[in-house]
Amino acid sequence: MLMPYLLGAVVLVGLPALLSLILAFTRYDGMSAPVWVGWFNFRIVLANPVDLLFPISLYNTLYFIILAVPMRVLSALALAMWLNRRGRGVGLYRTAVYLPTIIPDVAYALIWMWIFNPLYGPLNLILTALGLPTPGWLADAEFAKLVFVVMAAFQIGEGFVVLLAGLQNIPPEYYAAAAVDGGSTWQQFRYITLPLLAPWLLLLTLRDIILSSQNIFTANFIMTNGDPYYSTLFLPLLIYEEAFDRMHFGPGSAMTVLLGIVTAALIGFILSIVGNWGETHVD
Amino acid sequence: MSIKQSTARRTARAVGFHAVSILVSALFVLPLIWMFAASLRQPGLPPPRSIEWLPAPLVWSNYVRVFQILPLGHYVFNSLLVAGATVPITLITASLAGFAMAQLSRRGQDRLIILSVILLIIPTTAVWLARFILFRSLGLFNTHAALIAPSIMGSSPLFVLLFFWSFRRIPLELYEAARMDGASPLNIWWRVALPLSGATIVVVSILTFLLYWGDFITPLFYLKSQTLYTLPVGLRQLQELDRTNWPLLLAGSVVMTLPAVLLFAVVQRFFLQENRLTGIYGQ
Repeated sequence: MLMPYLLGAVVLVGLPALLSLILAFTRYDGMSAPVWVGWFNFRIVLANPVDLLFPISLYNTLYFIILAVPMRVLSALALAMWLNRRGRGVGLYRTAVYLPTIIPDVAYALIWMWIFNPLYGPLNLILTALGLPTPGWLADAEFAKLVFVVMAAFQIGEGFVVLLAGLQNIPPEYYAAAAVDGGSTWQQFRYITLPLLAPWLLLLTLRDIILSSQNIFTANFIMTNGDPYYSTLFLPLLIYEEAFDRMHFGPGSAMTVLLGIVTAALIGFILSIVGNWGETHVD
Repeated sequence: MSIKQSTARRTARAVGFHAVSILVSALFVLPLIWMFAASLRQPGLPPPRSIEWLPAPLVWSNYVRVFQILPLGHYVFNSLLVAGATVPITLITASLAGFAMAQLSRRGQDRLIILSVILLIIPTTAVWLARFILFRSLGLFNTHAALIAPSIMGSSPLFVLLFFWSFRRIPLELYEAARMDGASPLNIWWRVALPLSGATIVVVSILTFLLYWGDFITPLFYLKSQTLYTLPVGLRQLQELDRTNWPLLLAGSVVMTLPAVLLFAVVQRFFLQENRLTGIYGQ
């Protein structure tokens, strides 16, 4: 009974993952047989004197992750705590928070292109009415990356629901006991909510780091295609172009492997911080 | 007097809660409202001077034109075909795997949970090049089968876990009784486990449908013939025809988003309303 699931996992995920690792060391154009080239692809990706696209897009991707992930996790936490109560209207508010998450990717990208449109978009019309400066947003290399961060900050439904469920699993007696002992709201948060939610928060953070590079592709492809001046060239788009436009499956796979290594390093870094954090506060 | 004071304070707090909640909800619903408003603008009008909540005149014919410019109706049909095929396949494979998991020993269950979480966080970007090469050699290039394929492994490990949690809540005595009557495992899955998991079946069906309905990356990679296009690639095609015709682009976005919103309205009560959260997500 487990067969379809496990077999599917091998064919759809396991085998392709292994194959990318092998392809990273070959020259392969999708037609003729692959040729083993050793570390050549990695050298050309990391230190190509004419084409710095990989370092640029790696920087862009990290920029996005470092801004978007904490923002997404913290706002999901804040909203889950705010809406973790009974009463009229609460279900409706939760639904509203979840709503942007269900919008299909292409439609979501088009909506934000419209909102951030320098001339027609509602955002700049509001800024004009308030007498504030109106940037060119997606046309401006300084702001274009931020548009993607803002977009991502509105699609937090999954994290929101997971944290809401986590909050509801905390026995109310804990808070009652804290109230009897005269614990302040901040102390309740610090010594009850936060420690009990910590595993969920960590899981969401790690998942977000890993998946954000994947989730950004459609918006990236539809909205800017890397422009202006490569300021929004994120890694998945570069990998896509390398493999499917230029038929360079070798370097494309090498970039995929490097993205995996950087992501793993980032996660290792976070785990080491969190590990220490737990120890020093153990008293 | 102190009672009066405390009721007054409680009322003030309730008003404050609802005021903030309504503001937050409005912020999250705003992108949808703006999408809808802009889809009714007359194409070719100059930018509005100030923010427009409803354009004048209201051009409902945008919704007719968007179906004339491109065979959008045909794309909707293709999307329904693909998403419709994945729902029953996913229900069968995910629930079978979840059922088998529920019958395993504690250690086996833990191992499969870990495997599922790992599968859940492997980004598709890590496997897309190699999967493309694999699928092409299997003759799946330019077929709908390439789009449907992930449903063979239950579409998402999350769905397998949802079924596992649901089946594990069924009292063991029921399984035992059926076994004593000589029912085969498949019989127990079909006659006992599934009928008692209505909520999970509804939730997984709708989440599966939405997953494939909005999928842009897979059809972008695998579909060459226009007759096979699904709605997300159709919308991209519309964008390439005229990048500045925002009313039509957003009308197309509404067409794509509306079924998602309607289905979400059905499913939200299962996981956003009071006290149901732990039913689906908790153990």
